[in-house]
Amino acid sequence: MSTEHIRNFSIVAHIDHGKSTLADRLLERTGATDPRNRKDQMLDDMDLERERGITIKASAVTMNYDYHGTNYMLNLIDTPGHVDFHYEVSRSLAACEGALLVVDASQGVEAQTVANAYLAVESGCEILGVINKIDLPSAQPAVAAEEMEHVLGIKQGECLCISAKTGIGINELLEAIVQKLPPPEDKADQPTAALIFDSVVDDYRGVICYVRLFAGTLSLKQKIRFMGTGRNYTISDIGKMCPKMVSVDKLSSGEVGYVVANIHELEDVRIGDTITDAANPAAEPLPGYKAPMQMVFSDFYPGAMTDYPKLRTAFERLSMNDASFTYVPQNSQALGFGFRCGFLGLLHMEIVQERLERENDIDVVQTAPTVSYEILLSDGTIKRIDSPSELPDRSVIAEIREPFVKLEIITAGDTLGGIMKLAEERRCKLVKTEYLSPTRVMLEYRAPLAEIVYDFYDLLKSISHGYATMDYEFIGFEPGDLVKIDILVNKIPVEALSLIVHRSNAEQRGRKMILRLRKAIPKHQFEIPLQVAIGGKIIARETIKSYRKDVLAKLYGGDVTRKMKLLKKQKAGKKRMKSIGQVNIPQEAFMSILDNSDD
Amino acid sequence: MNNRDISSKSTRRDCSLYIHIPFCVRKCRYCAFYSIPASVEIQRQYVSAVKRELAMTAYKQSFDTIFLGGGSPTAMTESLLLELAMWAGAKIKSGNEFTIEVNPGQTNAELFKKLKTTGVNRISIGAQSFNDKELEFLGRIHNVADIVRCVEDARKAGFENISIDLIFAIPGQTTTDWKHSLDEAVRLAPPHISAYSLTYEGDTPLVRALAAGQIEIIDEETDAVMYESAMDTLETAGLVQYEISNFAKAGFECRHNLRYWLNKSYIGLGPAAAGCYDGKRTENVADVQRWLEAIDAGRFAYETQQSLSAEDIACETAVLNLRTRFGIEPVAFERQTGYDIQKLFAAPVMRHLNAGLLEWHEGRLRLTRAALPIADKVLCDFAAI
Repeated sequence: MSTEHIRNFSIVAHIDHGKSTLADRLLERTGATDPRNRKDQMLDDMDLERERGITIKASAVTMNYDYHGTNYMLNLIDTPGHVDFHYEVSRSLAACEGALLVVDASQGVEAQTVANAYLAVESGCEILGVINKIDLPSAQPAVAAEEMEHVLGIKQGECLCISAKTGIGINELLEAIVQKLPPPEDKADQPTAALIFDSVVDDYRGVICYVRLFAGTLSLKQKIRFMGTGRNYTISDIGKMCPKMVSVDKLSSGEVGYVVANIHELEDVRIGDTITDAANPAAEPLPGYKAPMQMVFSDFYPGAMTDYPKLRTAFERLSMNDASFTYVPQNSQALGFGFRCGFLGLLHMEIVQERLERENDIDVVQTAPTVSYEILLSDGTIKRIDSPSELPDRSVIAEIREPFVKLEIITAGDTLGGIMKLAEERRCKLVKTEYLSPTRVMLEYRAPLAEIVYDFYDLLKSISHGYATMDYEFIGFEPGDLVKIDILVNKIPVEALSLIVHRSNAEQRGRKMILRLRKAIPKHQFEIPLQVAIGGKIIARETIKSYRKDVLAKLYGGDVTRKMKLLKKQKAGKKRMKSIGQVNIPQEAFMSILDNSDD
Repeated sequence: MNNRDISSKSTRRDCSLYIHIPFCVRKCRYCAFYSIPASVEIQRQYVSAVKRELAMTAYKQSFDTIFLGGGSPTAMTESLLLELAMWAGAKIKSGNEFTIEVNPGQTNAELFKKLKTTGVNRISIGAQSFNDKELEFLGRIHNVADIVRCVEDARKAGFENISIDLIFAIPGQTTTDWKHSLDEAVRLAPPHISAYSLTYEGDTPLVRALAAGQIEIIDEETDAVMYESAMDTLETAGLVQYEISNFAKAGFECRHNLRYWLNKSYIGLGPAAAGCYDGKRTENVADVQRWLEAIDAGRFAYETQQSLSAEDIACETAVLNLRTRFGIEPVAFERQTGYDIQKLFAAPVMRHLNAGLLEWHEGRLRLTRAALPIADKVLCDFAAI
């Protein structure tokens, strides 16, 4: 097929604006799926994605579309639609020439709409504005179109109004895809260059690579080379996702499909790598991707220590499908064996936790998220640390730098005051304010990531009654007045509880910790001081009073069995405690302090 | 060691009797004991079944002590209560302690005179408080005046061995309120007083009110202060503390309860009654009908039966002994359980001695005075090996 008749595109949208439903409708209308056995949202693999309305893994599907008697091949490359997945979105967009930017007619432009539109522009994609859900009684397509023109520069008249749910406007949209999105360049005669934009592991076939051919061809039994890793393989199967896997003999320049080549380990395939012909390789690999950067870290401990091996296996399995997540074993004095995990962002972290619990039946305790820091040492070298415990001695630190993000918030004008106050409290610097419409405002901040990962999103939602949306993007490390706070229990510092915080927050955060500790540590025969210290200087203190009364009032003949049980339980409870500086701390209590969920 | 079964053999030589009378006119808010209001007919069946239940046991000798508890024994129809007491009174070793619990709202001078003829020689009065508001809060059916009259009536009938039960740490109670109850109780000069911190247990209205946030539990500090106030006040009044919650003039300690704390054997009759006999703990079903049916059919009505291992017996004996101010006498302990207390519990004994929570006193290992309010911190270490 001539590349003239190929269109490669993605759909990008804010969460819940109907991206997956639109994909389903396109598949149905082009005959790729049968509406009678329709399972909503074909492209979402995992239960979790369907439940949360989030697409985590990018995948691709090929549709045949009859445009006025000519067959066109439409390749839809799916993207995740959430705040943490910039990396995956941009990698999908790199495989496309066009993007459908979907906006909910009743919600208008949201923070991620803006972020996604920028990503599409940066990837050189042609954008087609789509206003979805026009069937809703609350739909205001004209307002949405106005916002798109105002914020994104997409002309109002060029937006398509559709309802993916009812099918209104789908035919027009398909026509527009052919008419307005550019075809791929034809480089069939050049040496093979195929971009791997995603990969998954299949239990029977090994690794399946999703590829976009930018030049040359790929065919069955061809000897290929992965340019990044330098490894050679032979193609054992090649084809397209329609959306089921359909084998073909050959894929040509401009096309999208899958390649199976007897590769066993996911680690052997680097997303962004270029596949070329082993005998006639391309001179240069395609521009790849920057490796995803883990910015948010959190420790995971099994609820029961005996679950540790189960947890390790679970992480191994998770990382097979999610290369952007990292895990390293940890051994904490207080909490025992667990893992320190790195995530792209907060949502990514939540998804991993949920998948862990759902797919593995393990009770997981997760510590409050922290961020990565850059330390400038006195000798001029720079060290990256992911945990406060890695912080070098104060005497050799010249500067602590924390990650900053560009934070965009879109909200209703009447909640602006509360949100600006929150942002200010969280050390966010306002860069600009822009009215999208008389009632909707977009705020742009430079924000310290550490302030965002903690509980910012929940507060934002609560202040705006669920209305505000946010998106952020890492922009760099910046020096700040950061200090490490130590928590001392009975005068002994507890490593696992140390935090790096801005000096202005140190007392507040520290106090919160010791207040929780005060609740969680049982009383002892003696008073227990709980202290917050910065470099040896105490900045806050609480006290756990000694216990005063603990005795069963009655123990007579009829009570013996029951009350002996109570006493045995009390004795067993003592066993599960960790002893730190003569203080017995129940493991469960320790975890409840660090667990960010009961904030 | 073959002397470890001595305890079970010794049960054949001495034994107490507990009869649970499962009737109340109304349940108190805090009470988790089994009781129901019942017709005279049910009471009649109950009394004959109690007799039958005893006949079913292998124990044919007289009892060392007898205790009629409840529920409210005095909620029974007088004639049936007297019949039961008379029957029981015939089974006690001559001159030994025979207690009946009474509700001061259900007694009169006549009743005490009649009880006197049955062999009952100790009266335990469920007074609970000398503050009418607190009595109402607790759901008691009597008032302060009833308590005073009850004590007078019992004395007039010739009862000398009288005990008063008190409850402290009642929601809303102040330390002054509690001191008032203590002082009033002391003024009546009974030779025995029990003082219990209010316990939230079972599915009681009190527990439900607490869960619903309708009442607030007395804080630990105040509870401790109230307990210390009881120890001081009663000690000053000449009532010596001989157990966590029990105070008596010399010679008026409750023999029946002391036998529980010595881990001696006893037979329990009636619904929900517990027994410990032949190295086995049993508990009857807490349901009058099911209990009646079983006894009528010639079966015991055990809800639970637990055979005690030598270790179980040693742990129970240690915990129960330590509740008393007499503590553990090592030789007696070894004779009873087959274990050397200092070897079996070497680590906790050492630790708590060092922490000042245990002490050796006249050759006995006991809790220090300071350890009494926090006794369970020590006792739990003796609850299992």
